[in-house]
Amino acid sequence: MGILLDKKTKIVIQGITGREASMVVKHMRAYGTEVWAGVSPGKGGEKIYGIPVYDSLKQACHRHELNTAIIYVPPLFVYDAVLEAVYNGVKLILIITENVPRQDVIKMLYLAKKEGIEIVGPNSVGIINPGERVKLGPIGGDNVERCFVPGCVGVISRSGGMTAETSWMVKKAGFGVSTAISIGGDPIIGTHPKELLELFEKDEQTKAVVTFSEPGTTLEEDMADFIEAGNFKKPLISFVAGQFTENMPAGTVFGHAGAIIEGGSGKPSTKIMKLKGVGAHIANHYDDIMGLLQRAIKN
Amino acid sequence: MGRVLENNSKNLLKGMNIPIPEFRIASTPQEAELAAAELKKPVVVKALIPTGKRGKAGAVRFANSPEQAKEEAAKILGMVVSYYRVEKVLVEEKLEIVQELYLSVAMDCNKKRIVVIASPRGGVDIEEINSQHPESIVKHYVDPLLGLPNFRCKEICGDLGLTGNVLKSAIGVLKKVFDAFVKYDCTILEINPLAITTKGDLVAASSLMSIDDAALSRHGNILDMVVVGSERVWHPMTELEKRAVAVNEADPYRGTARYTEIDGGDIGFMCGGGGGSLMVFDTLLSYGGKPANYTEWGGNPPEEKIYGLTKVVLSKNGVKGLLVDANITNNTQVDVVAKGIIRVIRDMKIDTTKFPVVIRLAGVNDAMAKGIFEGNNIEYYGENATMAEAAKVIVERIKRG
Repeated sequence: MGILLDKKTKIVIQGITGREASMVVKHMRAYGTEVWAGVSPGKGGEKIYGIPVYDSLKQACHRHELNTAIIYVPPLFVYDAVLEAVYNGVKLILIITENVPRQDVIKMLYLAKKEGIEIVGPNSVGIINPGERVKLGPIGGDNVERCFVPGCVGVISRSGGMTAETSWMVKKAGFGVSTAISIGGDPIIGTHPKELLELFEKDEQTKAVVTFSEPGTTLEEDMADFIEAGNFKKPLISFVAGQFTENMPAGTVFGHAGAIIEGGSGKPSTKIMKLKGVGAHIANHYDDIMGLLQRAIKN
Repeated sequence: MGRVLENNSKNLLKGMNIPIPEFRIASTPQEAELAAAELKKPVVVKALIPTGKRGKAGAVRFANSPEQAKEEAAKILGMVVSYYRVEKVLVEEKLEIVQELYLSVAMDCNKKRIVVIASPRGGVDIEEINSQHPESIVKHYVDPLLGLPNFRCKEICGDLGLTGNVLKSAIGVLKKVFDAFVKYDCTILEINPLAITTKGDLVAASSLMSIDDAALSRHGNILDMVVVGSERVWHPMTELEKRAVAVNEADPYRGTARYTEIDGGDIGFMCGGGGGSLMVFDTLLSYGGKPANYTEWGGNPPEEKIYGLTKVVLSKNGVKGLLVDANITNNTQVDVVAKGIIRVIRDMKIDTTKFPVVIRLAGVNDAMAKGIFEGNNIEYYGENATMAEAAKVIVERIKRG
């Protein structure tokens, strides 16, 4: 169980021959996650750690049944890589690349949605389902169990790094992770936390969800509305980082490009108020997540 | 989100055949006088700074003669508006206006769409229109595949209550403004006011433009018009901030290194990760700590980038200690980070018995990082401390002095 990933996940990596991508392939395989094919134009016929490389996704799909693509190409090539995945029948796309031009992002998210395809990212460090030993992307690095052990807690984080740190907190609290998702730190991203809550609500393995949020957008306000409408009933433990940015001049980016307060929107205090109002357990200090989680799951 | 100064954005609009007022740039009151004399018309003198809210600050003034332009320019030059010291002014022909429209094209990150916002009650900022006359605002979410066809422009302008020749001109201007937004990968393009003149012409009297820095590499021809990194500061970039941008741009595709200088403070803040750095900053403040800067690095940066960034962080006056605090890394090799930091500590001959350095670095290759720091007598934590606990330690060390 868990969400988004399972044993039927058949992975292809677009841009597999890049330095970071090939390191990630090594780590994924060491963890037990199979990568079936890679795409890199002009490198067709080569192998990366035994994985066949194709010039196009079409050729790869001809040989393998692929349903999940990891995109590891440079920012200006992401748009075309996503279209290639969308029009070759992939169902889940993870975009690792950071700083994809926003106009490209708007178009590709729209096209994917029209075709019923899930996009996580851009600027995601990956998704992991430790129970099934499936991980997409660099998430967990070369020592996955340090942070990600199987368990009953769903983790959703705006920050890739804090996806790992939060899962480590979950482990320190005596639990493990059903699925952890780094949703991406760019201003415009595919799958929103609200949509993940919907999946976690249906997932029997998941007993509680922990979220790590940042200033900017209304992702948390949307989660609160979703909970208020009665669509998510499991305990939600939330931490919202960057409260200090409210005392800084508006319109300044801190950290991820998406972390910006503009026109009064995106304030951590508003997010916290709304989440608290619908019964979420708010961690005032990040380390409080552990105690809140223990109490929430015991009840 | 690189900001573009008004003279540049106006020239880009002009290149798209959008009418703009004639203008000159002046750095001194004398130059402003000369500019007004050249224009041979009453003028508007405006601060040339990369931010809005100039009108409210008194940085937009009218003059009927060159002498008056000189006087008004003297009042504006040297003013500080939204943290920016005014070093140049625009001297612009004053339009004979019958109505001021508001028009902007922007991105709605939640709805994942480009949005066109317009109102017949322009000339004041959108927040004010929104509170005084919310019913006057016309909003259109652009279909990502269709773009903004002519009929949509007609609908939007019609909803503004325009008619006759003015409607026809407005449709054309809206279409061109939208095209400019797309062409230059803008994140915002605001024309306020879009003036209707007594002759019935539409003129972009004032413009505000920001360009998506992620897309800059496909716009080589306008690169020098954009202030790179300007979205991460609220003031003109300081020397240290410029140095940090240079460090990052020297190897732009491997890892990130960002630095925002903060007034005062004594803790050199060197935190990893966009999310982790926000959390640690909050945590430091909660313990009474005073960070001297906001810094974030990540994405497996090379040693040279960490070296350069650490040097920037430690070069600020008044910094009494250093906190390096990051989440357990997924792919960043922390031994590489360690090497970069140690080199700076050696080069700057920092005595860590007097200048506290606290490290919390765990993740890829952390056994090596631990060896590097402990071998140099530096207080190191891995998984035996949380990020928040490390933040508390640096505050205590600095208090102890």
